[in-house]
Amino acid sequence: MGLSMQSFITEHKRALMLIAVLLIVSPLFGVIGADIVGYHEPLDVAAEVLGLNETGLWSGLLPDYSVPGLPENWAGLSLGYIISGIVGVAIILALGLILRGLVAKG
Amino acid sequence: MGDVHIPDGFLDPVTAALCYAIALVFTAVAIYKSRARLKPEVITLASLLAAAIFAAQMLNWPIPGGTSLHMVGGALVGILLGPWLGELVIAVVLLVQCLVFGDGGITALGANILNMGIIDVLIGYAFFKALARPGETNRARVTLGAFLGGWLGITLAGVACGLEIGYSPAFPFGVAITVPVMGLWHIGLGVIEGIITALVVDYMARKLPSLVMSLELPAQGV
Repeated sequence: MGLSMQSFITEHKRALMLIAVLLIVSPLFGVIGADIVGYHEPLDVAAEVLGLNETGLWSGLLPDYSVPGLPENWAGLSLGYIISGIVGVAIILALGLILRGLVAKG
Repeated sequence: MGDVHIPDGFLDPVTAALCYAIALVFTAVAIYKSRARLKPEVITLASLLAAAIFAAQMLNWPIPGGTSLHMVGGALVGILLGPWLGELVIAVVLLVQCLVFGDGGITALGANILNMGIIDVLIGYAFFKALARPGETNRARVTLGAFLGGWLGITLAGVACGLEIGYSPAFPFGVAITVPVMGLWHIGLGVIEGIITALVVDYMARKLPSLVMSLELPAQGV
């Protein structure tokens, strides 16, 4: 049977609103604030300082929450960061809905 | 608060493999233990929590000097969903971060699941249970239990991270340096994780107590 997308959204409005708010404000920290203070992942910094060549075996489809092709300025990076967040949330919710559908079927 | 996402290249193959083995066994047991509880409503709650934790982890609070911290949330999901389902939620978040965004190395995924999905979740759950008895209505006990769980969960996750990278010959510093550095860093910043965990659990316990499964309220069927 499963649950339609519309009823899922109306039934969990508050939780989804919270997630949306987190995603919308996230570039303020992850992109803009990071740029101001010259932020890099702490363990990445450690690697750089130590001269470890980070053997990145897999950098992901949207590496470091950026969308390839978008401009490398704050606006493009912020947009990419938000799009990445939406993609991640959508994947997680989709996995949950698929599992829910399987369980509901028995 | 803290950052314990280990990238590729920090762990030697033995440490990485050992962490993978622990993570896989724990996850298999967690799936087995959670089977009976996986009713549609619980799956919906777990996936919304996973999405919220993922979104919360995107709020990377930058600190001058090139570092940052973000919520981890392992203790929080451990308290809300219990240790087994809590571990599965964090493991899914870490899997998506690793595969889709390259956040956390693919060779370090086992270690990252061990630190944030197992240690943080179990410690958070254990401290909460130590203070909040089944059906607990004393707000101070609920809040303090959640605070200690969130604070010490992330602290021990940081210590574990220090051990894993310190024991790896690939990393130039040994455990005598990595453990105190990671431990002290997280015992300090972990206070913020503890406060957020306490605020969320306190709110949920008052407004939506049926969703705080570690309280073992009669209707929950934990």
